[in-house]
Amino acid sequence: MRIQVSQELLDRQLVDRDGRLVGKVDDVEFGLGADGVPYLRSLLTGPGALGQRVGGRLGRMLVLTAERFVTDRPVAPLRIPYALVTRVDSAVWLRVRADELPTSPVEEWLRRHLIDRIPGAGRASG
Amino acid sequence: MRKLLAATLGILSAVGGFVDIGDLVAAGQAGARFGMAHAWVLLLGVVAICAYAEMAGRIAAVTGRAVFDLVRERLGARMALINLVASYLVTVITLAAELGGVALALRLASGVPYLLWVPVAGIAVWVVLWRMRFPVMERVFGLAGLALVVFAVALFWLPTDWAALGRSAVTPDDSGQGWGAYWFVAVALFASTVSPYEVFFFSSGGVEERWSADDLADARFSVLVGFPIGGFLALSLIATAAVVLRPAGLSVDSLDQVAHPVVLAFGAAGLAVAALAFFAVTFGAALETGLSAAYAAAQYFGWQWGKRVSPREAARFHTVLLVSVLLGVLLLLTTVDPVTLTEYMLIISAVALPLTYLPILVVANDRTYLGDRVNGRALNLLGAVLLLVILAASIVAVPLAIGTRMGQ
Repeated sequence: MRIQVSQELLDRQLVDRDGRLVGKVDDVEFGLGADGVPYLRSLLTGPGALGQRVGGRLGRMLVLTAERFVTDRPVAPLRIPYALVTRVDSAVWLRVRADELPTSPVEEWLRRHLIDRIPGAGRASG
Repeated sequence: MRKLLAATLGILSAVGGFVDIGDLVAAGQAGARFGMAHAWVLLLGVVAICAYAEMAGRIAAVTGRAVFDLVRERLGARMALINLVASYLVTVITLAAELGGVALALRLASGVPYLLWVPVAGIAVWVVLWRMRFPVMERVFGLAGLALVVFAVALFWLPTDWAALGRSAVTPDDSGQGWGAYWFVAVALFASTVSPYEVFFFSSGGVEERWSADDLADARFSVLVGFPIGGFLALSLIATAAVVLRPAGLSVDSLDQVAHPVVLAFGAAGLAVAALAFFAVTFGAALETGLSAAYAAAQYFGWQWGKRVSPREAARFHTVLLVSVLLGVLLLLTTVDPVTLTEYMLIISAVALPLTYLPILVVANDRTYLGDRVNGRALNLLGAVLLLVILAASIVAVPLAIGTRMGQ
């Protein structure tokens, strides 16, 4: 499959098999095949990868904010092997479910320390 | 009736965007100072928001991507982040102003001091955002906002000189206030009519309602009925101020004065309806701005968002929502005048406008997104001309604000 990374992949929404939103394609990672030909190895998502791409003071602030919520620094991006991608259109569709992937540490922290403590957090209002 | 219900998303988006607290006062001021001389600006703004909301709604229905998704994709990570920061600031300060408006409307109805109502308003708005179903929220506040029609009714009840009113609408005049001030008010009014959070809210609302390509007709109907109704309500606010306040030489700096024409026409009953209408539109606008701030952030970062999933599955989205409402309440408790603050925000908002509208126009022409549902030639021409107007407003906003000392 021929794909233009900067045009069709970067900054697109990552969506799991059931339509849950997983994150954005914040960066990509290339690997070098046995034959020496580079290939698209994985999609990176998370504030660590995003902060580097944004760059400058704004990017650093982004990473610092995210690092307040994690214990093991630097905050590592989530790596999604490109083989898990089924389809690329207005979003990048994955063949796995969101809960099979590691949850974002910031989401995890806020869920545990803030949102879950409010009554009604487990029910969708619709 | 079913048709009218289909339009409530458009009505609520419009009411929150340009019949909110800032406009209750700004439209009143425009009418009291310049008569109907800004009617054309409102008309142009309504055409612009209709054109762009239609595109954003169509993209949301066909692809499930809301406006800030497009902003991120087309402007890239860095420019979109700058837009996010600017939009978030503008939206949260507007949210504060709306919460202030809710408190003012409650004071108008009860006589209990305004600052006591501020935390009550904040909590009430947050509870609705936390628990109420999206379609219910949209219908209750969209339809209740229509109570503002009492201003249009008052216009018929009062001895209005329609010919003079019509003349002042077609022959713009600076009314001896200086053309700088005239254009400053024009830019502020235009910016409030096309506030970016209207398209954030409208397109995200479409995703919340699970629009698909089959709902395109409903989406278009919602745009073409909802936004013009909002425009009509805003126009009737300007007109009543022009008819009642302008001849008396009164200026508008509080909500009581905005309600004055209705009280003149209908007495205490008029005041009650006006207070209800103010409450409904400011509450609706608070919901819209609160959600828009959280939608924009969630869509920029790709977080799970929306009221369809439980809050614990969208913890970052609900945190931003909670923090935004909290910031709004805290801002008001500093006793800053929220309406003055909104006037400054409208200028910042005007500068940032192209950053939201350009990506919508570009994606509305992208066949990889929309297939054969891309813009037609006529809509592209209209969109391009309107984008030039938006660009012009964005360029002159700051020089005008400085040159006229905020329209003095």
